[in-house]
Amino acid sequence: MPEITYLQAISDGLREEMRHDESVFCLGEDIGAFGGAFKVTDGFIEEFGADRVWDTPLAENAIIGTAVGAAAEGLRPVCEMQFADFISCGFDQLVNVAAKMHYRQGLAVPMTVRLPSGGGFSGGPFHSQNPEAWFLQSPGLKVVAPSTPEDAKGLLSAAIRDPNPVVYLEHKHLYRRAKGEVAEGRFEIPLGEARVAREGTDLSVITYGAMVQLALDATEDLDGASVEVLDLRSLVPLDTGAILESVRKTSKVVVLHEATRSCGVGAEVSALIAQEAFEDLDGPVVRVTAPDTPVPFSPPLERAVLPQPDDVRRACLELLAY
Amino acid sequence: MATTTARPAAIEDGGGASVDLTGDDRRALLRYMLLMRATEERALTLYRQGKVPGSFYDGRGQEAVSVGAAFTLGPRDRTCILHRDLGAHLIRGVKPGRVLAQMMGRAGGVTAGKDGNMHFADHELGCVGMVSMLPDMALVTCGLAIAFQMRREPRVAMTWFGEGSTANGQWHEAMNVAGIRKLPVVFILENNQFAYSTPNDHEFAVDPVKRAEVYGFPGVKVDGNDVEAVFFAAAQAVERARSGGGPTLIEAETMRMHGHGAHDDMSYVPKEMVEHWTARDPIDNYERKLREEGFDTDEIRESVKGELDAETEWALAQPMPEPHTALEGVFATEDPVLGDGNAPWSRWQREAANA
Amino acid sequence: MSSSPTSAQTTVDVVMPQMGVSVAEGTVAEWRKRVGDWVEADETILEISTDKIETEVPSPASGRVTEVLVDVGSTVDVGTVLARIDTGAKPGEPHADEHAPQAGPAVAEPAAAEAGPLPEKAHPPEPAEHGGNGHGPPISPVVRRIAEEHQIDLSQIEGSGRRGRVTKRDVLAFLERRDDAAAERPLHIESPYRDEEPAPVQEPAPEREAAPAVGGEPLSLMRQKIGEHMRRSLDTAAHCTTIVEADMSRIEAARKSGREKLTYLPFVARAVIAALREYPMLNATLEGDRLTVHEEVNLGVAVSLGEDGLIVPVVHNAHELSHEGLAARIKDLAERARAKRLEPDEVRGGTFTITNPGAYGALLATPIINQPQVAILDLEAVVKRPVVVDGDSIAIRPMTYLCMSWDHRALDGALSAQFLSAVRRHIEEWSG
Repeated sequence: MPEITYLQAISDGLREEMRHDESVFCLGEDIGAFGGAFKVTDGFIEEFGADRVWDTPLAENAIIGTAVGAAAEGLRPVCEMQFADFISCGFDQLVNVAAKMHYRQGLAVPMTVRLPSGGGFSGGPFHSQNPEAWFLQSPGLKVVAPSTPEDAKGLLSAAIRDPNPVVYLEHKHLYRRAKGEVAEGRFEIPLGEARVAREGTDLSVITYGAMVQLALDATEDLDGASVEVLDLRSLVPLDTGAILESVRKTSKVVVLHEATRSCGVGAEVSALIAQEAFEDLDGPVVRVTAPDTPVPFSPPLERAVLPQPDDVRRACLELLAY
Repeated sequence: MATTTARPAAIEDGGGASVDLTGDDRRALLRYMLLMRATEERALTLYRQGKVPGSFYDGRGQEAVSVGAAFTLGPRDRTCILHRDLGAHLIRGVKPGRVLAQMMGRAGGVTAGKDGNMHFADHELGCVGMVSMLPDMALVTCGLAIAFQMRREPRVAMTWFGEGSTANGQWHEAMNVAGIRKLPVVFILENNQFAYSTPNDHEFAVDPVKRAEVYGFPGVKVDGNDVEAVFFAAAQAVERARSGGGPTLIEAETMRMHGHGAHDDMSYVPKEMVEHWTARDPIDNYERKLREEGFDTDEIRESVKGELDAETEWALAQPMPEPHTALEGVFATEDPVLGDGNAPWSRWQREAANA
Repeated sequence: MSSSPTSAQTTVDVVMPQMGVSVAEGTVAEWRKRVGDWVEADETILEISTDKIETEVPSPASGRVTEVLVDVGSTVDVGTVLARIDTGAKPGEPHADEHAPQAGPAVAEPAAAEAGPLPEKAHPPEPAEHGGNGHGPPISPVVRRIAEEHQIDLSQIEGSGRRGRVTKRDVLAFLERRDDAAAERPLHIESPYRDEEPAPVQEPAPEREAAPAVGGEPLSLMRQKIGEHMRRSLDTAAHCTTIVEADMSRIEAARKSGREKLTYLPFVARAVIAALREYPMLNATLEGDRLTVHEEVNLGVAVSLGEDGLIVPVVHNAHELSHEGLAARIKDLAERARAKRLEPDEVRGGTFTITNPGAYGALLATPIINQPQVAILDLEAVVKRPVVVDGDSIAIRPMTYLCMSWDHRALDGALSAQFLSAVRRHIEEWSG
């Protein structure tokens, strides 16, 4: 199997879906002639034509809102927000129109919204966010956050085939840094299934996105401790079974995410564990996250905010010793 | 680009079929307006009897705007209908009983209690239900039109919005996208003089119909209380869209004769204004006109009353929804199916007969 | 030939730059300077290419190139040191063609004040100074659960966690040691309270037999008391013994598939309790002519104390326990019985007794009723025997005799037989 980057995997997955079903089309800013700010749709307009690769005006509500209408009429739009941060400009259409449509009206909205998320490159407060927690509070949206090239491709296909609006978080840090073997052709990885990135018995690190590799690296050699790393992959639906199984096994949990602390996905996972696996706990559930600040620009400030390997190591060692 | 309220006797559309109204069509126009008013009056009574939870909104005085415009649509066209446009729902095929059940939050209502008042649409009849945030549906309508455009289909998407919502950024985004892509949409701007209590001069500095030009397509102003004027303006816009001519903004001037909702006594409306517009009631005037031309309008009224009585009885018999259904339907398990709507305009029967 | 000595502070690194947000690496395309060359600040020192662009890299400082670390054509990560410049050198010095690499610490950028981690990032708390009950470190939920399930006294375990906290690992290790101690059981029944060493009763005591009748040792107080009780029982109750045989196959299977290795006793106890629910008359005490049928089943389990005799601790409210729960309680009572740490209430209040004397191979017995109860069940050896099954076939099954002595003043034979049949039924239809 060829080894490709996370970015290439997303591009391949999208291309496969567009070849497979002509009702799939892309819309977003600079995705056509320019090939996308991150080149995900490079070559697409040449292959699929301007009809199916729409260079939209600078209007996020329009991108999301027209996608809702097109999806209602049987197309499968894949929206791109140039940066995840800009979803706030299309928030109304996403949470009020797209998310609630099936519940209220029984009308499915099969659309996907791709969000290039995350920091670590001095992008500053408006190009570095991880906004996934907002969508956990908007019933009707599914949310996925792949960490590997294979997952990126498979989850994108599944998201596009899903009859619901799916928010797809692609972490920019992983675009060219994450490489892996990915099967050619179409394949889907089901939404709602976590993946054990590394099995372990002494402590579980539960995480997703760019933090998965960071967790694996940070816990590779922790005084001989056997640390399990669970990659959630899917945030809505959440694989509660996999979470509780890991907790039952190790009884010590560190929940890790790059997004800010308060009411993040980590808060949800921690509460779930406290309620459903209380009698399996041999220590408090610990979160390692960014603090509640916007993501700063200057490298030392950004490093101080985004979780670093040492933060994960320290948290794990303290919990192991508890 | 901006035309007057003159009503052409007939318009030739791109397909060559003449756009006109038969006697049956005109009877139907009156009937649908009467049906809309009767349904809303009945609903208001039910509201005052404590059977309608939440708020109640109607489009009294604006019946011609929804009926006249929706009457132009073919079965495969699609709509996003707003809260003062009950006539459009009725034309597309939603029965009054389901509307009443919807307002009462019953299981037999269009959303089975999931959403209230006019936040409904029957997707099996090709309608997409509105949200409270206005004018979000204008962008959704553009999306429907994009699908027709991509598939090269001669189909049209129509929506309504009030003059107040033209102050919102999403209205601009919708107009802009529609103009850039020359989408097959018809935007019906219901200028009913007030957005809740806010009069027009607080919502815009320039008459919205003039803005269409700036977005690259025609803006047309019509007398929103003249159902045939609305019909012909809409028919022309629909045919323009269907033949690839792009969008039209139709500003229908009318007046909201009730408050924003049943909770609003509209005391902020000057008395003279109310009197002025009462005299221009769309139903009274069209009924008189048809009677003068020899139509038996009493028979239409009787029929509407009979229908409403039966529909009300049905609606009152519908049970409330089971509590467990509140947890159901958050996610879809199957792809959407937007069905076709009724198209009572005789033109469509003729086309179907000729096909 | 000599170059001026360099000092740590004057070495500047040339690093692979990041040409774009998502670019992670770059390739060295061409070196414009060699080791020993002089380079001016901002003068191009090398050319690189990335998948976005090709570009020239200006030197970060003026000085002499002391090291070139990455070859043309190599692809390295952003931030990798490509070359080093000695900024303390002076131009015009002789070019050093042979040159020993100077290993100086890098001074790439102003040392960022990498403060310790921000407090909000991660902060697992210390275990509380006082646990929930105010003494010592807390017992975590999982430790408490395991301790309860297995009847472990946590004070017996040394904690390896913070402040001496007993961790899950500690309690599981303790369990393993305990289980290993109670090792593989033979097929024959064996009472749960049996030591590894054969029970003293087993040893023949030739000295005792040979002891002269006169001048022999008096019985211990405990022996005397037991004897009195037995005598009184025989004198009081109208003893009859009914025997029923039971096929232990299903229980055998359950023993094998269970989480822990249990003896037959808890399974049989559970079956007895179930049968007592159907025949409550057997769960009764008779004092004088006063018969009391009891709601709760307080199950006495005879425990051998070896030479010292016998004691019958009681599992109160045994009807509330599963067989695993019964096993745990019996184990605990037996241990404490041997250690002489039973509470007085724990040997009172029984409503039915089971005795399970040990794997000595005896098949049948006629036990003596434990007053003032009306019945006692004796569980002897489980032995594989050929039996007739399914019509007329013969199969080898683990069989045992359930021997119940009962008081004919309170009960009669039919009822006793029915009860025992019910016990057999529960045993033979065991499903956990």
